[in-house]
Amino acid sequence: MDRMLYISMSGAKEAMYAQANNANNLANANTDGFKQDFNQFRAQHMQGPGWQTRTYSMDERPATDFTPGAVKVTGRNMDVMTPAEGFMAINSPDGKEALTRTASMQVTPEGDLVDINGNPMLNEGGAPINLPPFKDINIGSDGTISVIPADATNNQFVAIDQLRLVKPDTKQLEKDESGFIRYTGDDNLEQGGVKVLSGALETSNVNTAEALVDMIEFSRKYEMQVKMMKTSKEHSQSSDKLLSLN
Amino acid sequence: MNRALYVAKTGLEAQDFRLAAISNNLANANTYGYKAGRAEFNDLLYQNVRQPGAQANQDESSTLPSGLQLGTGVKAIGVQKIHTQGNAMVTDNQLDVMIQGNGFFQVLDQDGNINYTRDGSFQVNQNGDLVTSAGHLVEPNINIPLNSTEVFIASDGTVSAKLPGDPTPAQLGQLQLATFINPAGLDSIGQNYYKESLASGTPNVKAPQTEEAGSLLQGALESSNVNTVEELIGMIEAQRTYEMNSKAIKAADGMMSYLNNNV
Repeated sequence: MDRMLYISMSGAKEAMYAQANNANNLANANTDGFKQDFNQFRAQHMQGPGWQTRTYSMDERPATDFTPGAVKVTGRNMDVMTPAEGFMAINSPDGKEALTRTASMQVTPEGDLVDINGNPMLNEGGAPINLPPFKDINIGSDGTISVIPADATNNQFVAIDQLRLVKPDTKQLEKDESGFIRYTGDDNLEQGGVKVLSGALETSNVNTAEALVDMIEFSRKYEMQVKMMKTSKEHSQSSDKLLSLN
Repeated sequence: MNRALYVAKTGLEAQDFRLAAISNNLANANTYGYKAGRAEFNDLLYQNVRQPGAQANQDESSTLPSGLQLGTGVKAIGVQKIHTQGNAMVTDNQLDVMIQGNGFFQVLDQDGNINYTRDGSFQVNQNGDLVTSAGHLVEPNINIPLNSTEVFIASDGTVSAKLPGDPTPAQLGQLQLATFINPAGLDSIGQNYYKESLASGTPNVKAPQTEEAGSLLQGALESSNVNTVEELIGMIEAQRTYEMNSKAIKAADGMMSYLNNNV
């Protein structure tokens, strides 16, 4: 069988993967704090004995785009985001630290400060944050959490803890299978140097116009590959005809 | 089957869910004591199609520098109630009470269980007991004598009534408020009522004006905290994202139909 068919099949298959990745970005166009994934194709030469005439295509997700999304003001003072470079730390279910740029924080019945999925927010020492019962809460621009305790007689804010704020090099960040952003460097990230905005959330950074254009491009690419598959089929048909006995 | 088709489907479902949350907020834009809900989303798991660092071919030095992980879409994780204070609507009705603070009124349902509400449009039943507009008894029970000419509800919850021929108002009782450490975790059961849940924590009952419970304001009601402008913007956003995801479905469908028709 002509290898042309396999080459174009690989092209079509990988275009379909790319389309799925693009659809995932689009599906999360409204997910707060979502970071869109890049997509790229790579030429993968056939190795081994024989002529090196064939090159398969391979789709990959080289990285995630960590550019900030738009600021969405919500007015709820437990919604926080880091407006520029920098991340807040949360504890993911596997016990490791994950990073996020926005969190709609909640307080559990035990007073633990968690994100919307129940993952504990971490303080400057990397430990979960616990709050006493409070009348009001305020998150300072340096991540300081202060509350008016429920039993306070005068309405004065008392600083309780500080969010863990880090500024890793985005080249050393990756998104894991659960969608958590992880730091892959060896050293411990240092606290501080990051501003926090309270009363706002960061929207997803998906560029929808680009995603729509990519979607068309992937569709057309796919059609071209299918056309090549068809051409290959016609080739085999005509050679079959030439060699037929009657 | 085409993955993109299913991924885009999750996008459609999420926006559909968001629109439902928005329309519920808009429908309750004039409901006293209603708290707006905000739809929250998460990205779903990522599938490893090719593991980064895997062998690219027989040559051992050749490994993939980056693999292919495909996201599987989006999921709605819930509607978060936003418990910010609504505006005061002055009604001048002497049995309308508004809470300025974090507390909730306690109300007994027909089975004697306690529900919580911030809707303080109270009335009196045939026995003179203070009830909600749905007819449920307020806890602790306050009985207002039939011949009282005026009822006063102080900011600390003390209810007193003026009786004919008596210049000093008679004290009838004190309203209590319940607070929760995580009011967003309360179970909404409709009719402006909430129920305690595992997420909300146990209620902390106290008199108004103590700790974080808040004070009471007679002759006013708390309007819903729905911001209609925000909801309309959310509606546009949900609709457009829905359209984009349906385009992705169309594209995926187009790819499959092209394949079917040409090979």
